[in-house]
Amino acid sequence: MTREKLGGFISIVCFKGVITGMEEALGERATSIALISAGRTRGKNLVTELGLAGSNPSLEDLASKLDFALGENGTRLCKVDKIEDNGDTIKVYTHETVCSAGEEQGSSRKCTYSMGAVCGAIETIQGKRYRPKHTESVLRGGTHDVFEMSMIG
Amino acid sequence: MAQASMLTEVVQKFVTATPDIQGAALVTPDGLSLTSVLPGSMDEERTSAMSAAMLSLGERIGQELSRGIVDRIVIEGEKGYSVMVSCGDDAVLLVLAAKEAKQGLLFLEIKRILKDLAPMVS
Repeated sequence: MTREKLGGFISIVCFKGVITGMEEALGERATSIALISAGRTRGKNLVTELGLAGSNPSLEDLASKLDFALGENGTRLCKVDKIEDNGDTIKVYTHETVCSAGEEQGSSRKCTYSMGAVCGAIETIQGKRYRPKHTESVLRGGTHDVFEMSMIG
Repeated sequence: MAQASMLTEVVQKFVTATPDIQGAALVTPDGLSLTSVLPGSMDEERTSAMSAAMLSLGERIGQELSRGIVDRIVIEGEKGYSVMVSCGDDAVLLVLAAKEAKQGLLFLEIKRILKDLAPMVS
């Protein structure tokens, strides 16, 4: 069913309500696991729908494709600025993530769903598996929300 | 942390050498698989995320309801058991056992393998 008047987007306030409500009921860690897992599945499905699975483009091209799919021309989950390869790890620089949106400066909130989506998308495109970690945050003095992904197989 | 192949070897041996054990998986506390020996019909990624989330939720229940430190989470179904236990601070172990498994022996075997695995994942 499509929403005739309201369209395909919801407010960040409502999305954050889902997250904080889950944290209240299930605890932060269980919520984080569930949201990262949900994000990974979303990222995986997204790139599969876009026909990018296994395509293994250059990192510059990959960042641009993810930004197109997730950024202002896509689902508006976050902006993907660049991806750096450091051997066994890759760093994804994002901003305006839905996870950090609406948070006070200094908040300890970490990206979960956004990070999972980016990780799941990259894993599916490259055919590799990564363990993602949110290492720099716009809420804690960073210019970007940086997801550092270590290869696990 | 030990190499994935070493962890796989230990887990594989545990599953094949212990009666009534049908599968096992070692996962990170944030729900990513480190190694697993699971029946083919099970999705490794989903199983790993569920196990870590379940243990975390159990620990929260233990805390919220003043039950103290949680030793293990056991799900007893008509076809057998799923047991989730912490493996040090760095991993969660999931063990699947048949309905016929004796609980005491099962928990003893799990305790034994945890002793082997804990130093390997720390």
